[in-house]
Amino acid sequence: MAPGMFKRIYNFLMSLFWSKELDVTMIGLQNAGKTSLLRVLAGGEFTIDSIPTVGFNMKRVQQGHVTLKCWDIGGQPRFRTMWERYCRGVNAIVFIVDSADREAIPVAKEELHDLLSKPSMEGIALLVLGNKSDIPDHLDVDQLIEQLNLKLIDHREVSCFGISAKEETNLDAVMKWLIARANK
Amino acid sequence: MSFNKKDEDDAGIVKVDRTSVFQEARVFNTSPISPRKCRILLTKIALLLFTGESFPTNEATSLFFGISKLFQNKDASLRQMVYLIIKELSKEAEDVIMVTSSIMKDTAAVGTGELYRANAIRALCRIIDASTVGAIERNIKTAIVDKNPSVSSAALVSSYHLLPIARDIVRRWQSETQEAASSNKSGGSLMSGFMGQHAHMAATSTNYMTQYHAIGLLYQMRSHDRMALVKMVQQYSAAGVVKSPAARVMLVRLAAKLAEDEPSGLRKPMMKLLDDWLRDKSEMVNFEAAKAICSMPDLTDAEVGQAIHVLQLFLTSPRAVTKFAAIRILHQFASFKPDAVRQCNPDIEALISNTNRSIATFAITTLLKTGNEASVDRLMKQISTFMSDITDEFKVTVVEAIRTLCLKFPSKQAGMLQFLSGVLRDEGGYEFKRSVVESIFDLIKFVPESKEDALAHLCEFIEDCEFTKLAVRILHLLGLEGPRTAQPTKYIRYIYNRVVLENAIVRAAAVTALAKFGVGQKDPDVKSSVEVLLRRCLDDMDDEVRDRAALNLRLMKDKDDEEVGKFVRNDSMFSLPILEDQLAHYVNGSSAEAFAKPFDFSNVPVVTREQSLAEDRTKKLTTATPTLKAPTISGPKKAEAGAAAADAARDSAAASQKYAQALAAIPEFKDFGPLLKSSGVVELTESETEYVVSAVKHLFRGHIVLQFDVKNTIADYVLTDVGVVSTPSAGEDGEEASGLDDGFFIPIPALKAEEPGTVYVYFQRPAGETFTAASFTNVLKFTIKEIDPTTNEPEESGYEDEYQVEDLELTGADYILPAFAGNFSSIWESLDGADEAEETLQLSAARSIQEAVELLVKQLAMQPLEGTEVSLSTSTHALKLFGRSVAGGKVAGNVRMAYSAKSGVTVKVEVRSEEEGLAALVVGAVA
Ligand SMILES: Nc1nc2c(ncn2[C@@H]2O[C@H](COP(=O)(O)OP(=O)(O)OP(=O)(O)O)[C@@H](O)[C@H]2O)c(=O)[nH]1
Ligand SMILES: [Mg+2]
Repeated sequence: MAPGMFKRIYNFLMSLFWSKELDVTMIGLQNAGKTSLLRVLAGGEFTIDSIPTVGFNMKRVQQGHVTLKCWDIGGQPRFRTMWERYCRGVNAIVFIVDSADREAIPVAKEELHDLLSKPSMEGIALLVLGNKSDIPDHLDVDQLIEQLNLKLIDHREVSCFGISAKEETNLDAVMKWLIARANK
Repeated sequence: MSFNKKDEDDAGIVKVDRTSVFQEARVFNTSPISPRKCRILLTKIALLLFTGESFPTNEATSLFFGISKLFQNKDASLRQMVYLIIKELSKEAEDVIMVTSSIMKDTAAVGTGELYRANAIRALCRIIDASTVGAIERNIKTAIVDKNPSVSSAALVSSYHLLPIARDIVRRWQSETQEAASSNKSGGSLMSGFMGQHAHMAATSTNYMTQYHAIGLLYQMRSHDRMALVKMVQQYSAAGVVKSPAARVMLVRLAAKLAEDEPSGLRKPMMKLLDDWLRDKSEMVNFEAAKAICSMPDLTDAEVGQAIHVLQLFLTSPRAVTKFAAIRILHQFASFKPDAVRQCNPDIEALISNTNRSIATFAITTLLKTGNEASVDRLMKQISTFMSDITDEFKVTVVEAIRTLCLKFPSKQAGMLQFLSGVLRDEGGYEFKRSVVESIFDLIKFVPESKEDALAHLCEFIEDCEFTKLAVRILHLLGLEGPRTAQPTKYIRYIYNRVVLENAIVRAAAVTALAKFGVGQKDPDVKSSVEVLLRRCLDDMDDEVRDRAALNLRLMKDKDDEEVGKFVRNDSMFSLPILEDQLAHYVNGSSAEAFAKPFDFSNVPVVTREQSLAEDRTKKLTTATPTLKAPTISGPKKAEAGAAAADAARDSAAASQKYAQALAAIPEFKDFGPLLKSSGVVELTESETEYVVSAVKHLFRGHIVLQFDVKNTIADYVLTDVGVVSTPSAGEDGEEASGLDDGFFIPIPALKAEEPGTVYVYFQRPAGETFTAASFTNVLKFTIKEIDPTTNEPEESGYEDEYQVEDLELTGADYILPAFAGNFSSIWESLDGADEAEETLQLSAARSIQEAVELLVKQLAMQPLEGTEVSLSTSTHALKLFGRSVAGGKVAGNVRMAYSAKSGVTVKVEVRSEEEGLAALVVGAVA
C-alpha cells in the first residue's frame, strides 16, 4: 500500500504547484463546427464528413502544464436545453457560430442571451468564435459583435475572434485565451 | 490513515442506503477524479439497484449526469463500471441520449479502450434513439466481425435489441452476422469471470458463445421469411459447422417451430434433423431434441421411437441432473402416450428408490401413468414412504398423477382415497391441500362408489382446516351431495360445527350448505332440526350470515317445495367456459363505454349439470399431470400438447359461441332460432391447393347451415361472386333423395388472395322427420379476374370457373352432444326397447384398440363413461358412450372391439336412442 500512497501524495503536490485543469464547455448551433474545432485543437485532422453530435463529446487538450477538459455539446435544438447543465461551474464557455451562415445568426443570438441570463451562468468568461472564416462571404468580428449584440453582455469577460477550423486560422489566439483562464 | 481506509471499505459492504449514496455522488464532480473512489460509489449504486432499490427520476437523472462526467477518465475499469451503471440508470433517468456521442466513440475504441469496448456497445443500444442508429452502422458492423469474441457478442446482442426500433438498418448487417455465425471464435475470456470457481472451467473455456448470439440475431432478422429460416437451419445443422451447443439448442427449437408452423411441407425434413440431433455429442442438444420431438402434435410411434430410446439411455447415467432431465421429459410425455414410454419401465423402476427425491417422484408418477392396474398399489405404497420428504410442488405432482389415475381405474378408488385422505392430514401449504381436495372432489363426482367415504374424509378435514377457501368449497359440496346420501343427518352435525367455530366467510357458507338439507326435505324431523339450527344463525354477528339464514328459513316455509328445490339445487347452470370467455371479453373491453351496458347473460347458454360434468371430466383426463414448469420451445405457442388438449373443451364451447354470434348477424338466418350444435371443422381440400376450402355444419331447429370457409391462394387474382353449389343425396351411395330441398347460398362478393371468406349454404330440414343423414357434393363457383399490376385493381372482365371439392357428410353424430352419467348400465337398461341399431365392421383407419377408441369417440360425438376411453388390454375392449340429441333425448352406445394382427380392429357398435330414427344414423357415422 505504501508505494501507492506515496504516488498519490506526489500527484497531489504536483497538481498544487504545477499542473492545472480547466473545464471548458463548447456550445453553439448545429453545424457551427464545434466538434471539428475540438478535434483540431486536440491535434487531430480536420475532416469534412463530421457527423452531428448526439449529446456530448469530451476531449482533453494538453498545453504545457495546463489541461483543458473540453465538453463539446450537440447544437441540435433537442440538446440546447442541456447546455446550462454542462456550463455550470466551468472556467469558460466557448460559443461558436458559423460566420458564413447569416440566417442562423439571429437564432444563435437568442440562444446565447437566453443561456447567459440564467443565474448559474453569472461571471463565467465567454469566448465567441466566428468559425469558417475561410468561406468568402463571412461576417467579420465587428459584424458579429454587432449582430450578436455582444455589447449587452456584462459582469464577465467577453472576447470575440474570427477563426477557421479548416485552415487552422487564428487557433493559437484561442489557445492563448483559454490558457490565460488558468491564472484567473 | 489506514484506519480511515478500513472504515471506508466496511461502509461499502455494510450500510448502503440510497440517500447517502446520492449525497456521495459529489465525488463524480471532483477534479481530478479519483477512479478508486468513483468505482466504490458506482459499486454501491449497483448494489442498491440489484437488490431492488430504485432511484426516483430526478435522482437517477442527476446521478446519470454526474456519472457522464467520468467519460473524461482513462481508467479502463472505471469506464467499465460506468457502462454497467449507465445501462441500469438509463431505464429511469431522463435525457440519457446525451451520452450517445461519447459512447459511440468508445464503441470503436482501441488499445486499452478494447477492455471497455464491449461494455460501450452493450450500453449504446439502451441509450440510442432510432434516428441515430444509422450513424453507428459502421462501428457495429466492424464490431460484429471483430476477432475479440466479447466485442462481437456485444455487437450481436445489441443489434438484436436494436432490430425492433430500426429494422431496416439492422437487416443490412446480415452478411456480417453470417460471418460471425460461422466463425469459430472461442469465448473463454468472456465467461471466465462468471465461471471462475466452476469445476468444468476447462470445458467451458471454449464455448463459442458468439455463434449462439449470431444465430439468434439471424433468426430475428429472417423471422418473416420462412424459406430463409429453413435454409438457415439446414445450413447450420450440418455437422461441425456450429461449435456452440447453445447455438445448436437454438437450432433445435427453430426446427421444431418450423415443423409445427408448416406441417405439410416441413415436418418431415425437420423431424429428420431433430432425429440427427438426438445423436449430437452434447447432452443439452440431445435433451432439447428429445423434448421437441415429444411435444410435436400428432406424433406417431415411429417418429418418437428414437427420442424415447435416447432418454431411456440417459436414465442410467451416473449424473443426477441427466437422470432428472430425462425422467422429467418422459413423465410429461407419458401423459399423452403412455404406451410409447412403457418400454422404459424397467429403467424407471430402478429410479423409484433413488435418493434424489425429485427423480424418485417423477419416476413413480411416470410409472403410475404407464403402468397397469396391478402395479398401482405397490407404487402408492412406495411413494407414501417419502411423501413427507418432498416439497409441496412435487407433492402436487404426485397428487395430480393419482387424480388422473382415479378416473382411469375407478376400481382402485378405495386405495387411492385412502392415500389421499392420508396425505390430507400431512403438513402442507395451500396449493398442495387444494390439489388433494380437488382430487377427492373428482372421485365424488366421477366415481360414485367412493362418495360416502370421500365425504366422510372431507368432513373430518374441515374440522381442522386452516384454509378458508377450501373450507368454503367443501361445505358447498357437502350441501350438494349430503342431502342425497342415505344418512343426511350425519353431515348436518359437521356443518353446524362450522357455524359455531369459524370465521364469518365459513359460517356463511355453512349456513347455505345447511339450508340445502332443509329445503324440499320430506322427512319432517330433519326439516325441523335444520330449521332450529338456522334460527340460531339469525343472531349471528355477521350480516351476511344472518341474511342467508333468513332467506333460507323463508324458502323452507314455502309451500311450493318443487320450485324452491330446483332453485336451491341449481340444477342447470351457465356454461362456465363460455361465461368465463365472455366475462373476460367484457372486462377487457376497449373503453369505459363498454361498461355503460351491463353484462348480458342472455348470450351465455345454460347447460345441465350433466353436460358440464362431461366437459369437465374430459378436460381433466386430457390435461393429465402438469409437470413442474419446463421451459417451452420459444414463445407463447402451445409447446405443451397437454395444455392444448385441456383448452380444447373450452375452445369448442367458445367456438360454437363465436359461430352463434356470426350466424346471428346474418339477416337470412334471423328466424332460425337458437343454434343447437356446430360440428368441428372439416377440411374439404388439401392445404396447398389453389383454393383451400373447409366446412362447418350448423344445426338449427328447422334448418341446416353449411359454412364454407374459402381461401384463394393464387396471388394476383381476385375471385368474385364466389358461391358453393351443394347438392345433398341420402347416404353414401348418393342416389336416393335426402329429404332436403336444394339449398340457397349466400355468396362472397369478392375474394382477394390470402384473405379468407365465407359462403353459407342453407337447407330446410324436412318437416316431421327429426333426423336426416345426407352426403353433399360441393362445387365452388366463381368468376376469376386478374389484377392489373399497374393499377392494383381487378380487370373489368374475367371468366367463370368451377372447382369441385370433397363431399361433406351429415351423420347421426351431428345431432348429438356428449353428456356425462355416473353409471352406464342403468342408462343402457332404461333404453331397452327404444330405437336401436347395430353393426359390426372392421376399422381400417385404426391400428390399435386405443386408436380405435379415440376415433370412435370423435366419430360418435358421445362421452365415454366409466373410464372406458382408456383400454387396458391390447386385444379386447368395451367402450361405453353417452350423449343427448339436440332435441334432448338420451343416446347410448356400447361398442365392443377386438384386435388381431391379421384383421386389425373389428368393432361391434350398438346404439340405443330415446328418439325414433336416430340410432341407425349414429351407427352409420362409423367409418
Ligand atoms: N469550410 C469550413 N467548414 C467547416 C469548418 N469547421 C467545420 N466545418 C464543417 O461544418 C460541418 C459541421 O461541423 P461539426 O463540427 O460537425 O459541427 P458541430 O457544431 O459539432 O455540429 P453539432 O454537433 O450538430 O452541434 C462539417 O461538415 C464540417 O466539415 C471550417 O472552419 N470551415
Ligand atoms: Mg458536434
